[in-house]
Amino acid sequence: MSLMKAPENTPVWTNENNCKACDICVSVCPAGVLAMRPDPHSVLGAMITIIAPESCIGCNECELSCPDFAIYVADKKEYKFAKLTDQAKERAKKIAENNYMVLGA
Amino acid sequence: MAFNYDEYLRTDKMPTLWCWGCGDGVILKAFIRAIDKLGIKKDDMCVVSGIGCSGRFSSYIDCNTVHTTHGRTVAYATGIKMANPDKHVFCIAGDGDGLAIGGNHTIHGCRRNIDINLILINNFIYGLTNSQTSPTTPQGMWTVTMKRGNIDPTFDACKLAEGAGASFIAREKVSEPRKLEKVFVEAFKHKGFSFIDVFSNCHINLGRKNKMANAMENLDWIDQITVSKKKYDAMSEEERKGLFPTGILKQDEEALEYTAMYEKVKEAWQNNTKVEL
Repeated sequence: MSLMKAPENTPVWTNENNCKACDICVSVCPAGVLAMRPDPHSVLGAMITIIAPESCIGCNECELSCPDFAIYVADKKEYKFAKLTDQAKERAKKIAENNYMVLGA
Repeated sequence: MAFNYDEYLRTDKMPTLWCWGCGDGVILKAFIRAIDKLGIKKDDMCVVSGIGCSGRFSSYIDCNTVHTTHGRTVAYATGIKMANPDKHVFCIAGDGDGLAIGGNHTIHGCRRNIDINLILINNFIYGLTNSQTSPTTPQGMWTVTMKRGNIDPTFDACKLAEGAGASFIAREKVSEPRKLEKVFVEAFKHKGFSFIDVFSNCHINLGRKNKMANAMENLDWIDQITVSKKKYDAMSEEERKGLFPTGILKQDEEALEYTAMYEKVKEAWQNNTKVEL
């Protein structure tokens, strides 16, 4: 299996050159780690942002569901992921209600 | 560490030309992971794709690839497999490519049970040419050619493959990438014709006028029309209406594979006898 090196101490990272802002990763994240920020240079006017890396539970759903090779999650052996908290779940719900955009933007 | 997809991709072609949120990308990812899991070398595999959005598969995977004429994926792949029986051959076709214009090739590939893996990306519409009715478009849906609702009855690709004689038949959907990867692994391991019907989203061309204009709504709709095989089997005829079972629907390891049978034909000619199956 070929592996790529993860940036140090990072649970989840993105490749903004590949992201098309389809919102799928944000919709599948159970912990509200991801959101879209407004970006005038993108076709859909948004771009992926990691807003709460400390809440990432390492479920890998975002990476598997991303059609554009734009998001990566670290290996469970290398990074100690958080447990899913009620606060994180609440944030995920709010982001979904906010049309997957960053809260307060 | 994370999984490095770049090893299997033509990275100069990234980002993909597919629309945002297109299921084809998820299938490409699951395909790469399955190939990696089985340890298939890039030199030992060939990806054949036809025309349509799914046709771009062969542009993105960095291995032996053929981008063929419309609907003729299985025909080309049959030739490739016959000449190289020890290599792995993968066909990627859309619902228009594999069931409409190439329907004939698909059924005869299934009938011969040749060791090809056909991934049928079923997005229920002709996506590349902008929303014409395809053989799998559900009745009542808006399409460019049926603006007041589609009247054509739909057909079940897996039942077609079963009738034609494929020895491995499965159905999966892009909203469950882990299961998709598992089904791919099983299919690629299988010796004989593997037919995988993958339900994919086309929220741009199917969803736009059918009240599911973003990827999540389209994926939810796919989740609504599918049910696991286990649950499907327990349902009554009445409940099954409009639902499609997912998972491995048929797996026959006993069926004779075509290139193996062809070896026997060669032997028969050399020994001046009749072929014994």
